[in-house]
Amino acid sequence: MTNRERTSNILHFKAADRMPAVHFGYWTELLEEWAGQGYIDRSILDGYYDGGPKDNELDRIIGWDYNWQHVFCGNNGLMPRFEHKVVKEFPDGSQAVQNGNGIIEKIHPGVISIPAEYDYLLKDREAFETLFKPKMALNIEKRVDFDFFGRFNTDIYEKTDVPLGIHLGSVMGSIRDMTSVMGMSYLMYDDDEELFGDIVDTFAEMQYEVAKAVLETGAKFDYAHYWEDICFNGGPLLSPTLFEELCAKHYKKRTELCHRHGIDIISLDCDGVVEKLLPVWVENGVNVMFPIEVGTWGDQFEKARKRFGNAVLGVGGMDKTALRKDKKAVDAELERMKRLASLGGFIPCPDHRLMPGSKFELVVYYCEEIKKIGW
Amino acid sequence: MGYCEDIAEKVIGGKAKEVVALVEQALAEGENPEDLLTKGLMAGMNVIGEKFKLNEVFVPEVLVAARAMNKGMQVLKPALAKAGAEPLGKAVICTVKGDMHDIGKNLVKMMIEGRGIECIDLGTDVDAERVVEAVKENGAQIVCLSALLTTTMNAQKDVIDALVAAGIRDKVRVMVGGAPVTQEFANEIGADYYTLDAASAAEVAEKALKEMNGK
Repeated sequence: MTNRERTSNILHFKAADRMPAVHFGYWTELLEEWAGQGYIDRSILDGYYDGGPKDNELDRIIGWDYNWQHVFCGNNGLMPRFEHKVVKEFPDGSQAVQNGNGIIEKIHPGVISIPAEYDYLLKDREAFETLFKPKMALNIEKRVDFDFFGRFNTDIYEKTDVPLGIHLGSVMGSIRDMTSVMGMSYLMYDDDEELFGDIVDTFAEMQYEVAKAVLETGAKFDYAHYWEDICFNGGPLLSPTLFEELCAKHYKKRTELCHRHGIDIISLDCDGVVEKLLPVWVENGVNVMFPIEVGTWGDQFEKARKRFGNAVLGVGGMDKTALRKDKKAVDAELERMKRLASLGGFIPCPDHRLMPGSKFELVVYYCEEIKKIGW
Repeated sequence: MGYCEDIAEKVIGGKAKEVVALVEQALAEGENPEDLLTKGLMAGMNVIGEKFKLNEVFVPEVLVAARAMNKGMQVLKPALAKAGAEPLGKAVICTVKGDMHDIGKNLVKMMIEGRGIECIDLGTDVDAERVVEAVKENGAQIVCLSALLTTTMNAQKDVIDALVAAGIRDKVRVMVGGAPVTQEFANEIGADYYTLDAASAAEVAEKALKEMNGK
């Protein structure tokens, strides 16, 4: 079987020859570590990206079958993005830097971390109308490379054996990335609730049209994929009720679009504890939980399967921190993955990018063993 | 409803402008500033804290409530100072060295301030020596340490070690939290408390201070 076939079969509860060894990518710092340790050539870091040639090369070296995040789309973000620039320097060497989404983040050069939100541009209606709405304009000819997607099937799809996805964008995560958590909160609940709804709807409509245009070229995809990242260890970053009010219609519309184009596997990337937002996703067509972060709270997949039945599939759920420990820890995860796989409709995958300290030989071992758990 | 109840309701609803207007009006009419603080602003924030713990409200509601409370506090501060009101105690709070993430830390700070505790916020990527310095400078009794990443959580131990080395470990209570942190980890590194969420952190900080102050 090809990876495409075995993945499709597993996610449709059909027999497959074996489990694929699927991953989610790596921290750059880990690749640098492995290069320093002599496991990989440093040239792999040049131009590495998910699903790219260097990623594929690493797959062959390590024994992975593929990266789940092998996705394509038009430009469904702010276009053009805001200028990346330093707006303030602090005495301790840290900087306030404007990023492409119009958020000013506090970073410290050399410190590898999720940055702190320092300030943001999208504060009121005027900022939205003058700075952001123009960047959300459709301009379909600029957003979609019709020539690329016109040749996609012959140039790419038919030449690879791994599942390829269309990226549907982000209904709420991107909005948070433009407003900051603080800004999102103030707009949603106090400053201008109507504006917040307008921002969500405007951006979502643009993303929908981009996905539609890509699919209407006839380009084939095996699955669709969202990114959100709007949960943390304490649950969702916003009220599930408000989330449903603002977002459900957008998920539903994209699901209908996917179904019209023969795509029935729709995955959504959200870290943290996703339980309270799952109903909105599942009820509106998202059927693959990814990457099912284990964190300090444990497995989320089995609970979701008990609640939603076979309407919920999973790719993820493997505690990546085991790969920083020892064979015993990896074996314990393999046993757990075997058990989750036996539920059907589940493909193990590390629950986020492999982090610094992950041991090369343990990762190779994991790849060998995960393929044996069978299906 | 009296002013205190009105203020509490508007804090809960996150209505900053209305909180400011109510506090100004209340002060103008001679209301007791300490009552406005404890039975108005803090009472509202405490309701939000309880609801947050129970997952009845979420991060945005906490943030808008905290903003409303802080705006009200800014109006109330001069009157409180005149009345000689003192905070319950002082806490130093930061995200540890190597970690720039601050949402969790900010939520804890808001909740702790909602309990009448003065918070000295050192920001993010803070080294252990700076924490020790801040504790000594401010006479803080509580140290709150946040870490988001598995790769940075060990810096929480560095702070505890630094407090020991400085001879002030027994003068403070150390609270740790953050996504990768567990009770087991907190025990391993010698922290006094681990809390899962910001509301619990505030509750624990208040209890600890009352214990330390003999109340």
